Amino acid sequence: MSSEGLQTQSSGEISVSKRTKTKNKQRWVDRFQVLFLSVLAILILLPIFYMISMSFRTRREIMMDPLGLPSSLLIENYQKVAEAMNYGTSIFNTIFITASVIVLVSILSSLAAYPLARIRHKLSTWLYILLTLGLVIPPFAGLTPLYLFMRDLGLLNSYLGLIIAYTTLNLPLGVFFYTSFMKSVPIELEEAARLDGASYLKTYWYVVLPLLRPITGTLGLFITLTVWNDIVYPLLFVTDDSKYTIMVAVVRFLGTYSIDPTQLFPAAVLASAPLLILFMLLQKQVVSGITAGAVK
Amino acid sequence: MRGLDRRYWFVLPALAIYLVFMIYPLFSGVSLSFTTFSGVGEAKWTGLDNYQTIFTDSVYLKILSNTLIYSAFVVVFQNGIGLAIASMLNGLPKVRSLFRTALLVPSMVSLVIAGYVWQYLYSPLGGGLNEALAALGLKSVQQIWLGDPSIALIAVAAVHVWMYIGYSAAIFLAGYAGISSELQDAARMDGATRWKRFRFIEFPLLAPALTVNITLATINSLKSFEFPYIMTGGGPDGATMTLGLKVIKLLFNEYKFGLAAALSVVLIVMVASIGLVQNAYLRRREDRI
Repeated sequence: MSSEGLQTQSSGEISVSKRTKTKNKQRWVDRFQVLFLSVLAILILLPIFYMISMSFRTRREIMMDPLGLPSSLLIENYQKVAEAMNYGTSIFNTIFITASVIVLVSILSSLAAYPLARIRHKLSTWLYILLTLGLVIPPFAGLTPLYLFMRDLGLLNSYLGLIIAYTTLNLPLGVFFYTSFMKSVPIELEEAARLDGASYLKTYWYVVLPLLRPITGTLGLFITLTVWNDIVYPLLFVTDDSKYTIMVAVVRFLGTYSIDPTQLFPAAVLASAPLLILFMLLQKQVVSGITAGAVK
Repeated sequence: MRGLDRRYWFVLPALAIYLVFMIYPLFSGVSLSFTTFSGVGEAKWTGLDNYQTIFTDSVYLKILSNTLIYSAFVVVFQNGIGLAIASMLNGLPKVRSLFRTALLVPSMVSLVIAGYVWQYLYSPLGGGLNEALAALGLKSVQQIWLGDPSIALIAVAAVHVWMYIGYSAAIFLAGYAGISSELQDAARMDGATRWKRFRFIEFPLLAPALTVNITLATINSLKSFEFPYIMTGGGPDGATMTLGLKVIKLLFNEYKFGLAAALSVVLIVMVASIGLVQNAYLRRREDRI
C-alpha cells in the first residue's frame, strides 16, 4: 500500500520503485531462508523426536515398522526401566551432588574473584591465570593420581569424594565467570562501604555477593550440565550402585553396544528429561552463559 | 609483608583446593608417566619407555591420527554450519530466538544419551537412518555406519557436530549482535551484495566469536571420548579409538596406569599447544582487523 502511494509521488519515481523491487526480492529471500532453516531445524530435532517416540513403542511394533509412531502412550517400558536402573536414587544422588557443588563453587570462586577483579597487581594476574588454566585441562588429565589420592584419603565410594572432584573441576569456570562479571560492575559501591568502615569480609558479603546473583544462575546451570553429563568420576570413584549419578546409572544399565530399543529409549528419555525441562525454563540464562566469552 | 593487599586471603580457600586436587594430581601424573604402575605394588621406573611406545607403536600412531581427524572434522563442520545458520538468522529478527533455542536442544541432552540414541539410529538392524533412507528410495546410500572402518570415525564425529551446531550458532549470533546495524545498512545502501557484505564486513567483525568458537570446539573435540565409548568402544578395528577413550580403556580395562598417565600427558600437551597456537594466531588476526 504505502509503496504504491510513494510511487505516484512524481520526483523520485524511478529510484523508489527500484527500491520497492529490491525490497520485494528481499522478502522472498527471507521467506526462502526461513523455509530452509525450518527444514534444517526439523532435521536436527528429528533424533530427539525419534528418541521420545520410540520410547513408547513395544518391541513388536518396532520390528514391524521401524519408523512408525507409537500406537499408544505405553508407560510399561518406563516403569520397568525406571525400576531396573534405580532412577529415583540416582536422580536424588545427582541433585544432591549438584546442589552441593553449586554452593561450594559459588562461594569459593566468588571469594577468589573479589580480589582478582579488583587488585591491579602482577600477583593477582598470575593467580587468575593459574586458576583459570584448569578450563583447558581435560578432566581426566590427572585422573590416575587423583584416583590414588582419593583412595588414600578414604574418599572412594562417597558423596564427599565426588563433591570435591566436581568442585575442583568447576572452580576455574567460577573464577572466570565471577572475575569477568565483577570487572563490569562499578567499584563505587564497594568503596562507599569501605568508607563507612566495613571490613573487606563484610564488604564482600553485603555488597559484592548480592551483585553477583545474576551470573550465579548461569554458573549454576553450567555446573549442573557438567555434573549430569559426566561419567568419568563416578565410574572411577564409585562402585556402590546406590551412590551412582544418573548418567552412570544409564551406562551401567544399558552397557555398551546396547540394542534393545525398549530399554534404550525410555532410559534415554528418563535421563535427559530433567535437563531438557531445565533448559526450557532457563533458556535465557543458557544463551547468556554460552555467549559470555564471545563478545569482548 | 606490608605491601600485600589483605584481600589476597580471599583467594586462599579456592587456591588450596585447586592446588591439592587439580595441580598436584597433574604433576604426580607426569611422574607416574615414567613408570609401569598397575595400581598395586611398587611403580617401576622405566624412563621414557611409555612415550616411546606412544610415538612408535602403530596402534598409538593410529590413535593420534584418529583424534586429529575427529577434531578437524568437528571444528570445520560445527563452525561452518553454525556460521551459515547465524548469518541467515541475523537477517531474520522475528524468528531468530525461536531457531536459536530449537537448535540448542541437542546440546542439552547429554553426550552419553546422544551416543546411545545415535548408536541405534546408525544400527544396520532397523536403525532409523537406514530405514529413513530406504523410505526415501535411497537404499544405495545405506551404510553399516559404525561397522565400516572407512566411515565409522566420521559417523561418530558427525554426532558431535550435530550436538553442537546450535552452540556454535548461538556464539556467532552474539558476535553479530555486536556489529553495528548502521554499518550493515550503509553497506546495503552502497549496493554491496550479500556475499560482499559477509566477506568484507561481517566476517572480519565476527573475529572474537570465531576465536571463541574454534578454541572451544578444538578443546572439546580433542578431549572427547564419550561418543566412541558408547557407540563403538573404539572399533571397528581401532577405527574410532581416540586419545581420550584410550586413556579410559588403559585405566579401566588394562590397568596400565603408567601408560595411561603418559597418554594423558600427551593429550594435555596436544590440547595446550594447539590451543595456544590457535589462540595466538586468532588473537593477532583480531588485532589486525
